[in-house]
Amino acid sequence: MKRARPPHRSRPALVGLALSAAACAPEPDIILYCALDEVHAAPIVRTFEERSGLSVRAEYDIEAHKTVGLVRRIREERNRPRCDVFWNNEIAHTVSLADDGLLAAYDSPSAADIPEEFRDPQRRWTGFAARARVLIVNTDLADPAQIGGMWDLVDPRWRGQCGMARPLTGTTLTHATALFSVLGEERALEYLTGVKQGDVHLTSGNATLMRLVSAGEFAWGWTDTDDFNVALDRGAPVAAVFPDAGPDGVGTLLIPNTVCVLAQAPHPDAARRLVDFVLSAEVEETLARSRSAQIPLHASLTDLEHPLPLERMKVMQVDYARVGAEIDERHGQLKEMFLD
Amino acid sequence: MSRPLVIAAAAVFALACLAPVVVMAARVGPDDVEGLLSPRTLDLLGRTVWLGLGASAVAVVLGAPYGFLVARTDVPCAALLRPLGLVPFMLPPLFLAITWTAVSEVRGAPATVWILGANTFPLVALFTARAFERIDARREEAALLVGGLGATLRMELPLILPGAACGACLAFVFAVNDFAVPDYVSSVGPKFNVYADEIFASWQGDQEAGRAVATALPLVLLTLAMLLPALALRRRGALATIDGDFRSPAPLALGRLRWPALAFCLIVVALCAGLPLARLTWEAGGGARGWSAAGFRDAMSRTLDLERTFLANSLVYSALAATLCTPLALILGHALERSRRGRALEFLALLPLAVPAILFGIGNIALWNRDAALMAAVYNGGAMIVVLFVGRFLVFPLLISSGAVAALDPRGEEAAELAGAGPAARLARIVAPGVRPSLIGGWTLVFVLAMRELDAAILVPAANGTVIFKAFNRIHFARDDAVAALCLLIVFFIVLPGLLWALFGRRRLEVIG
Repeated sequence: MKRARPPHRSRPALVGLALSAAACAPEPDIILYCALDEVHAAPIVRTFEERSGLSVRAEYDIEAHKTVGLVRRIREERNRPRCDVFWNNEIAHTVSLADDGLLAAYDSPSAADIPEEFRDPQRRWTGFAARARVLIVNTDLADPAQIGGMWDLVDPRWRGQCGMARPLTGTTLTHATALFSVLGEERALEYLTGVKQGDVHLTSGNATLMRLVSAGEFAWGWTDTDDFNVALDRGAPVAAVFPDAGPDGVGTLLIPNTVCVLAQAPHPDAARRLVDFVLSAEVEETLARSRSAQIPLHASLTDLEHPLPLERMKVMQVDYARVGAEIDERHGQLKEMFLD
Repeated sequence: MSRPLVIAAAAVFALACLAPVVVMAARVGPDDVEGLLSPRTLDLLGRTVWLGLGASAVAVVLGAPYGFLVARTDVPCAALLRPLGLVPFMLPPLFLAITWTAVSEVRGAPATVWILGANTFPLVALFTARAFERIDARREEAALLVGGLGATLRMELPLILPGAACGACLAFVFAVNDFAVPDYVSSVGPKFNVYADEIFASWQGDQEAGRAVATALPLVLLTLAMLLPALALRRRGALATIDGDFRSPAPLALGRLRWPALAFCLIVVALCAGLPLARLTWEAGGGARGWSAAGFRDAMSRTLDLERTFLANSLVYSALAATLCTPLALILGHALERSRRGRALEFLALLPLAVPAILFGIGNIALWNRDAALMAAVYNGGAMIVVLFVGRFLVFPLLISSGAVAALDPRGEEAAELAGAGPAARLARIVAPGVRPSLIGGWTLVFVLAMRELDAAILVPAANGTVIFKAFNRIHFARDDAVAALCLLIVFFIVLPGLLWALFGRRRLEVIG
C-alpha cells in the first residue's frame, strides 16, 4: 500500500532554494576594490556606470581595519584575481602590491598632467587627489602661529596639550615610515621615542584626534586634511598648520589616493576605462569639492578654489617607492615601540 | 543511523568547518614557529588570560545567581526575566562598548573586562539554570527539611558548579578572542593590547602568511584549553543524566528575599542590555541636541529606508546559514551521541571555533577562490558568506543537538526499528520531534551569531553587503542618530526570532541541549 505523503513536504527545500538564489548576485562588468570612504566614492562610481553603461561592483573596506581588508584579500586572491581595479586611499600598500607583481602597467591618458612624482615610473599605479598630514589646532586653546612643525609635539612647552594617532595603521603609519626615509633612522627614532615617552596623547585614529581637538580636550595634534575639513565644516574653532615650511623643515607629507589595474584582472579593458574616469580632472575636482576636500594634483586644477591649496604648503620630498617597500618592516618596529 | 546521511553530513562538515582550518594550518612551516614565544608574546598572552579570567568572573558573579533565581525560585516575573537575560549576549559587544564609553569614564582593561563579562553572563546563567533544574526534587526536599534554604544551597552548589564553570569557560573563550572591544575602549591613551589584536595586526601588509598563521597558535591552544574542559563540564553539569523516575523540583520560596532578588535581576538586565539600548534610543532620538519621539521615528524610518537592502542581505544569509545548520546538526549530533567514538569527534567540532575569526575567513578565501566554475560562483556570491557562517557556527547546534539526543530515551528508536522504520525515518519521525526545541534553539543561536559576525566575514566579498559591515563603518565615523538607529534595527532583527518564539512558542527554547 502506498503511504500517504504529508502535504507541503517540499516547502522547506523550496524556501532554501529561493534563499540560495537570493544570495547569488549577477556577474558585474568590473569589480572595484575601494578603500576610499563609500560616501565619497559611491557617487563617482554611479556616474561612471551611467556614462559608460558598464556595471561596477564596488567593494569597500572596513574603516577601522584599513590595510588589512582589501590589500590582504588581493594578496590572498593572487592565484585567481577577481578584482579588476584597486582604488586605495593611500599609497604605501599600493606600492607594496606593485613590488609583489600584483599590479599591471597602465599609462592612463587621464593622468598626463599629474606630476611625475605621484606616478609609478613603470605605470603600475597612479596617484591623485591627495590628503596632507597637517596639524589641527583648537584656536581657543592655542595660537596656530606658535606652532611651527612636528618637533613642537615633543617640546616640553606643549607637554600634555597635544596628540597624535598611534602610528600603527593608515596614514599615520605611512607618515612615520616616510619620516625614516626623510629624516634618517636616528632622527626619526628620536622623534618617535619623544612622542612615546613624552606626554603626548595617543589615539586610535586621526578622526578621534580631530574630534578631541575640536572639543577642546587637546590643544592640537596631527591629522589628515579630510578630517580637518570635517571639523571645519562642523563649525569647530580649528585652524590647520602646514608643518615645517621653513628652509630646513621637511615640509608637509602628501598622501595621494592611488588607482591601479590588477595583474590578470578578469576584465582588463573595462578596468582601464574605469581607471581613466577615476583619474580624470573631473573626478579630482569632485573629490576636492567634497567634504573630504582632497587636494587636486592635476596641473589643470591648480587654480581651483580649495580650503587647503597646495601653494600654502611646502611639500615633503619623499620617495614613495621606498616608503612602500619599508612599511611592513617599520610596522613591526613601531608595534614594538607603541604597543606594550 | 543512516550511513549515507551521516556520510553526506560529515562531508559537508569537513568541507565547511575543517577544510579552511586545514588549508591555513598547511601554510605553517617549521621556521614559522621559531621564536614564537618571545617575552613580549608571553606578556600579551598573560594579559589576555587575565582578561579572560576577569570577564569570566564578571559573568559568573552576574550569571550564576541570575540563573538560579529565574530557574529555581519564586522570584516575581521569572518567566519574563529568563528570556530577557539572554538579550545581552545577542548584542554585538561593540554596541555595548560604544554605549558604555559614552556613559562612563572607565577605559582600558577594567572597561574591557566589564563589557565582555556583561556580554557573556547569559552563558553562565543558561548553564547554571539548566543544572539547577536537573536536581531531583526529593534531594532538595530532604535538604530543606534538614536545614532550610541554606542547607539546600549548600547541597546544590557542588551540583551546579560544573554547569556554571562550563558557562564561564565559554565566556572566557569569547572574551579572549575579541579584539574590537579592547581596541575601542582604549581609543585614547595607552592601548590595552591583547593577543587577539596581535593576530589581527599580523595580517597587515605583506608578512609571511605562515608566520601570521603561526602567530595565532598560542591563542588557539589557549582557546582549546578552555573549550575541552567546557565540553566535559557540560556533560557533568547541564547535561547530567536524569534518572527515569526524576521529579522536577518545585520553585524555592524566597520569602522576604523575593523583592531584593527581583531587584538584582532587573539591575543586571538593565546594566547589561537596558542601559545600552536606552542610550542608543536616546541618541537615535536626537541625543544631546534634544530628544524627541518624532526625531526618533524619523531616524528609524530614514535608516530603515537607507539600509533596507543590507538588512535584507544579513537576514537572508543568517537565516540560510541557520537553516542549513539545522539538519546537519540533527544528523551529526545524533551520530555523535549514539556512536562509540562520538565523544572523540566532538573535539573536531570545536576546531572552527578555536581558530581566530580572521584566520577562518582567510582559510575560506584560500579554499573557495578557485577556477572551478562552481567554487568561483560560490566565492563570488552570497553563498560564500553562508558557507562561512555554517563552518564557523555549526558547532553550536551540533552540540546542542547531541545534548538533546543524550537526554532522549533510545528505546523509542529501538521500537521504531523493530516496527520496520528505516534509519532516516527514525531520525525524522522519532528523534527530530523529540529534540525540536533544541533544533530551534540551535537555529536561533546560529542566526544570532551570524547576524552579529564581522571578524570572520570581513575579507569575504559578500560581507560588503551585510548590515553589520555598514554599521561598523558608520560607527567609526561618528555616533549620530543614524548610527544609533541602525544599531537598534540590527538588535531588533537579531532578537526577533527568539522574541517570536518566547511569545508564541508552546515550549521553551533549548540552547544547551
